[in-house]
Amino acid sequence: MIWLVLTVAGGIMGVVAPHHLLTSLLSNDGTDVWKTMVFFTVLAAPVAAFVYSVAIYSLIGWRHRGNQDEPPEDGPPIRGNGFVTGVWLITSTVLVIVLLVWGLSVWSAQQVSHPDTLQVEVTGQQWLWTFKYPGTGVESRELVLPVNRPIEFDVSSVDVTHGFWPAALGVQVDANPNVVTVIRTTPDRVGKFTVRCSQLCGLYHSFMYAPGSVVTSDQFATWLQSQGATSSAADKEAQVSQS
Amino acid sequence: MPEVASSGSEPTRDVWPTKGPKAKPAGLLITFGIALALIVGVGALFYGETYRSPSGTEVAKSVGTATVNGVTVPHVTLHFQTYPDSTGIVNGVPIHPSGNSGWPAYGLTNSYQVPAHALVTVYVRQYDSGGSLNNPWFATVRGTIDGTAIVDGKVVKSISPNDVGHTFTVRATPGTDPGFFLSVPLPAVDGDNQTDNGKYHTVVFSFVSGSKGLYAWNCEFPCGEMLASFGGPMSAYGFMSGFINVA
Repeated sequence: MIWLVLTVAGGIMGVVAPHHLLTSLLSNDGTDVWKTMVFFTVLAAPVAAFVYSVAIYSLIGWRHRGNQDEPPEDGPPIRGNGFVTGVWLITSTVLVIVLLVWGLSVWSAQQVSHPDTLQVEVTGQQWLWTFKYPGTGVESRELVLPVNRPIEFDVSSVDVTHGFWPAALGVQVDANPNVVTVIRTTPDRVGKFTVRCSQLCGLYHSFMYAPGSVVTSDQFATWLQSQGATSSAADKEAQVSQS
Repeated sequence: MPEVASSGSEPTRDVWPTKGPKAKPAGLLITFGIALALIVGVGALFYGETYRSPSGTEVAKSVGTATVNGVTVPHVTLHFQTYPDSTGIVNGVPIHPSGNSGWPAYGLTNSYQVPAHALVTVYVRQYDSGGSLNNPWFATVRGTIDGTAIVDGKVVKSISPNDVGHTFTVRATPGTDPGFFLSVPLPAVDGDNQTDNGKYHTVVFSFVSGSKGLYAWNCEFPCGEMLASFGGPMSAYGFMSGFINVA
């Protein structure tokens, strides 16, 4: 009964809690992260509930009572019990394989490169992010992305290790000095977000964040021009976004 | 510890104590209270010491009003310098009360106060040598009126990224204007000069302050020590970093 109650409670928490704990998600990967978190939590709920229910039952059922002179006798050992061992082994194996397949499928979907991908060079330095849009001459401390267009972030650092973490986009990767790490996502709704640093990187680490936004393709072209891009480069980016 | 009862050669087992010391709720509370007070106290001490301004706060001086984009706002001025050696003394005042030899520093304080939504004109004397930026992006003047600064009387929008002494880079902190950003490169001089007797560059720029709150500034030129030259004075508060209190 304890196990059942805890399993149901854990399952409900797994479904409801992310709505209150996660930021607003603006990309397909963010949605995938959401689904993965819910799925994993629901699958883990009965396992965790089993551990907790055994612990709770043991604490309550086998606790020392004041009128006893001796502790209760131990229960029968389960060592060598083939049924229990088999159930535990098979259940664990199935769960791990399911989680592995799920995780790999989500991860592999992110690795696909599309021909109309927008490349953004992300540079971390103590304690600011800058974003360069190759081919446009634009480099900004604000990350502006067109909606529904695949994005490739080429992430690097010019000093220490930082962590590129636009949480609303559902991606995160370390920015390592002298190394370019590629990560992809596709924003699928318009909105604002914040890029944070997820690696403790020094004195002003807590201030190392940048404003970000997902905008329409027209707004993206306008923004590029406002940042100094030529109108031809901005128009080209807008056309790619609309196609 | 359970008492062990012995009965000849028979195996022994622990005898469960029928009476033992009972935990006292008041004692537990006091213990936790002391631990909590210690943690908070040490944390507050560390925080206060880490972010203590070495030489007080430089409050911007009012010089009247100015019109910015058709709006009349207060006009204030700030004056500060960048020195190559924080152990130096200028006009009898130490550049940094606990300076380290070879560590550059902004002086004579790293803490400034300006009014909100005011035109702030900053006068900087840059006495330090320099080199190349890690990121040339910081060689461009950003966030000032017209995106310009006046270097030795000449209006510039950027300087050579390979000839930078320091930068004065200000960013918003949580609770302040998230869009506020200011970055002005300060050109390097030939050799390190500590006082007005030596060479220096004069850099003047103006910006409109944001809403009330504490804004953080730091230098983005790698003028420190160790890894990526961002150790030492770049990682110790009070030398190449500080706060601007917009009041």
